[in-house]
Order: sequence, then C-alpha cells, then structure tokens
Amino acid sequence: MTIPESVTADSRAADNDTGPGTARPVIQARNVNKVYANGTIALQGATLDIRQGEFVSLLGPSGCGKSTLLRIMAGLGDVSGGSVQWWEQGYDVVGDKGRKLAFVFQNATLMPWARVRKNVRLPLDLEHVSEADAEQRIDKALDMVGLSNFGHSYPRELSGGMQMRASIARALVTEPDLMLMDEPFGALDEMTRNKLNDDILKLWQDNGWTIVFVTHSVYEAVYLSSRVVVMAARPGRIVEEITIDEPFPRGADFRVSQSFAEYCRQVSESLEKASSMGEEVRA
Amino acid sequence: MNLPLIKNERFVQVAAPVLVGLLFLLLWEITVIALDVPKYVLPGPISIFESLIDNFPALLKALLVTLKVTFLAFIISVMLGVAASLLFIQSKWIEMSLFPYAILMQVTPIVAIAPLIIIWVNDTTWSLTICAVIMAIFPVISNTTLGLRSVDPNLLSMFRMYRAGRWQELVRLRIPGALPYFFGGLRISSGLALIGAVVAEFVAGTGGAKAGLAYMILQSSYNLQIPKMFAALFLITATGILLFALMVWLSNLALRNWHESAMTTEY
Repeated sequence: MTIPESVTADSRAADNDTGPGTARPVIQARNVNKVYANGTIALQGATLDIRQGEFVSLLGPSGCGKSTLLRIMAGLGDVSGGSVQWWEQGYDVVGDKGRKLAFVFQNATLMPWARVRKNVRLPLDLEHVSEADAEQRIDKALDMVGLSNFGHSYPRELSGGMQMRASIARALVTEPDLMLMDEPFGALDEMTRNKLNDDILKLWQDNGWTIVFVTHSVYEAVYLSSRVVVMAARPGRIVEEITIDEPFPRGADFRVSQSFAEYCRQVSESLEKASSMGEEVRA
Repeated sequence: MNLPLIKNERFVQVAAPVLVGLLFLLLWEITVIALDVPKYVLPGPISIFESLIDNFPALLKALLVTLKVTFLAFIISVMLGVAASLLFIQSKWIEMSLFPYAILMQVTPIVAIAPLIIIWVNDTTWSLTICAVIMAIFPVISNTTLGLRSVDPNLLSMFRMYRAGRWQELVRLRIPGALPYFFGGLRISSGLALIGAVVAEFVAGTGGAKAGLAYMILQSSYNLQIPKMFAALFLITATGILLFALMVWLSNLALRNWHESAMTTEY
C-alpha cells in the first residue's frame, strides 16, 4: 500500500508506526479514556493505530467499549482523556471539502419516509452536490451494493439485508476512503451475513478503503480482517492485537481452511483470557 | 360457504359499527313505543329524524355558525401549536420555561374562563374561537413537540457527521419524523375544537343571527322541544365524527407509504 503524495509528514505518526504494514496511520488513538456522566468507564487507555488500507476489526463482548472507540474515531463525542489524531486535515472527521469518512450504523438507520434513492442521496444533499453528479453517484453506489432495481422502494419494503445494503450505499455515495462500521451485520441471519461479508471485502479491495469494523463474532472478525483488535469489558480496554496474515481475496476456501480455524482459536483464547482478567479486576 | 364481504376488512370496518348503531336505534324506538314515553322526556329516533327534517334550514344555519368557530379554532390551534413546538425544540430552556403554561391552559376548565373571555373580546365569533383554541391547542403542542424530539439518535449523529445545519436537520429529519405524532394530535384536537366551540357557546348563550348549535339546544330545552334538541345534538356528534374521519384520511394520505399506522397488514 502506498501513501498518497498529498499527505504531509507527521513526525508522531512516523515514530509510532510499529505494527505490521508499512503505511502511516490514518487514525492514531493515544491513551483514550471515555467516562460517561454516570461514572461508567467505557474505555480506558485505548491506544491504537489504524493504517491506510487496513481492515481492522474491533472484537469483544458487549460493554468492552468497541462501539465507543469507533464513535470517537468518527468524531462523535468527546474523549475524557488521551488524544485522537486524524492523519490528514481532510480526515478531521468531517472536514469541509476533504471529507473521506463514512459511518455505517448497527441498524440500517434509514429514513422510513424516504425511498431508497433519497436515503442514499442524503449525504449528497447535505453537501449540496449538483443534481446530475448526485444522480450518477447514487446509481453507482446502488449498483455496487446490488440494489439498482430497488431505488424506488421504501425501506420497509426491503429485507433486513437489503436495508443494510442501502445503508452501505449511503456510506459509499460520498466516495469515502475510511469506513467505520459498527456491527453492521449483527442483526442479520448467517447466510445474509456471509454474503455481505464477501461483498464488503470485495468493495474494500476494489476501492482501496480503510475499514474499521466492530463485531462480536470471532469468525466474522477473522474472516474479514487484516488485523483483529481484541477488547475486554469493565473497564473497556484493548487487550491484544492479532494480525491475520492471510492473503486477500478470501473466499469460501478460507472459511474451511486449517489456518482459519487456527486464527479463530487464537482469537477466542485471547478473548477468554481477557474476560477472565476482567473477572479478577472486579473481584 | 364463501362470504367474501365478511372477509373484506374495509367492508366490515364500516358495516359492523353501522349494524350496531341500527340495532341500538331500533331498540330505542321499540322501548319508547312500548313504554309510551312522552316526547318531551325521550323522543324516539323517528321523531328526532322528523324534527331534523322540519327544522333543517334553522339547524343548518346554526351548524354553519358552529362549524365556522370550530374550523377557525382548529386552524389557529394547529398554526400556533406547531409554532410553539418549533420554539420548544430550539432549547430545553425555552421548553422548560413555557411548557407548564401550555399545561395550565389545558387544565383550566373552559367554562370557568369563557365568561371572562366573552367580556374581554367584543366580537362573539372571536371570543368563542379563543375559547375553542384554548381547548384544542394542547394536543397539537404536546404531540408535535414529542414527535420533533423523537428522532433516531443514529440518524441525528449522521446528520451531525455530515455537518447538517439546524434548518436541514429540522426539514429533512425532524419534521418528517414528527408527522405521525402531529396527525395523532390533530385527531384529538379536531374533536376538542368542536367541543370547545359548543361549550363556549353554551356559556355565551348567543342568540340571533350568530346562534350556533349549542344555543339551539339551550333554546329547545327551554321550550321543551326535545326532538329538536336531539336533532341538534345529532348534528354536533355527526360533525365530530366527520372531523375525526377527515383527520384519519389526511393522516393516511400523508403516511401511507411508510408509517405502520397507515398501512394494512397482510398475513
């Protein structure tokens, strides 16, 4: 993966570039704490680099702060301590012109009163993109998620999987290069989830995005990611980063391979160890 | 046996209550005849209907007067109510400061303040309208405010992420999302506007050219024209039902594409 030339040097980023991969971090989180008003420690001392072109999964039980961390990366909500830096000025979450970040929520989060096209169009409307340009980009986005024939449907007329596709199309339409996805397929049945996993991998590869993906499924995390960040709860924290050193594209073969099973075992053990540590902390 | 009409939901929706009504009227008529109840105590449905026909020009005139006040009050309630809701959602402070007064209006018995309003406002139509507005405005305010606030927090996050302005947030997100609540408010409010108009007129007791249905009832009861009284009462309730149906129709028209309340479920 290469660094775009437009990127200006950032000494901190270079200093901290340790893990696998040579690209510079797109997002640098340093010792991030998040304490909610009611005293809940959602996140404690989270330090994480997201590098250009990576597919990183945040994996952990509920309450481990994975969604909180993702939302902080999206600039939604303040940190209670530590810092988050975005690589380029344009990555400053919602920079005016250079906006490159898109967020996909756990639920499809579509406006029920608007047809699919209008839902997908929303980010463009908010950015005042011209009519002709917008139409073209909507067509492209719908095509990418396989919903070309459903632009005029209302969300309620679609299945859960299709609603999620529409939600992804809405994220695609801004042509982002950083996608933050918060358990996007958590509510879907396994077959739909597998299909969408393959689709998102293909889109990731074709478009050279960086994806941060929150999930509580070990299999999903291993299957999709170039790196799995294992998190634990009470307090929410990062316990281990496991690199999934397997080539892309990945497909059905990978799902049944020995190394897939081995990675899943490794990640599961890490999760278990993390949760038992949590028990000790509470005791 | 195949009974397609019974299976038609729309048909049953209309036919069932009509049947109940007819049975009730029949029972009423039979009771009145069987017990030989005098007309000035309880007239039967047939004599009420006769009275309705006989007095139709006068009743229609009175109905129009009441309708005028009702519609004026309803439209003003909707406009002021929506404006108040839009003001309330601008800040918690505004809502906290003003909402108790909206409740105050709701809990003040209209019969208690109607005489005051009638003294203060010279024009009868307007004094009655103001009374009816006081009755009808609260459901609009409370429902619309609730609707404007009930936004999917994720959608709101998304709007904020894309740096949508307050105006865009209002027009593209809050207002469409509030419509089901708003129409729910209209259903209640339309009925209250009518009741408010009638109650205010009772208190005002306006006769002459500006006499509405309430005055008709008062006058008929003084004169022991009980069938005419019932005929006027019938017109009031019929108007209320029609207003309600109109609101349901409007609501379905606006929400039929997406909201559960306006859709028929198929199994």
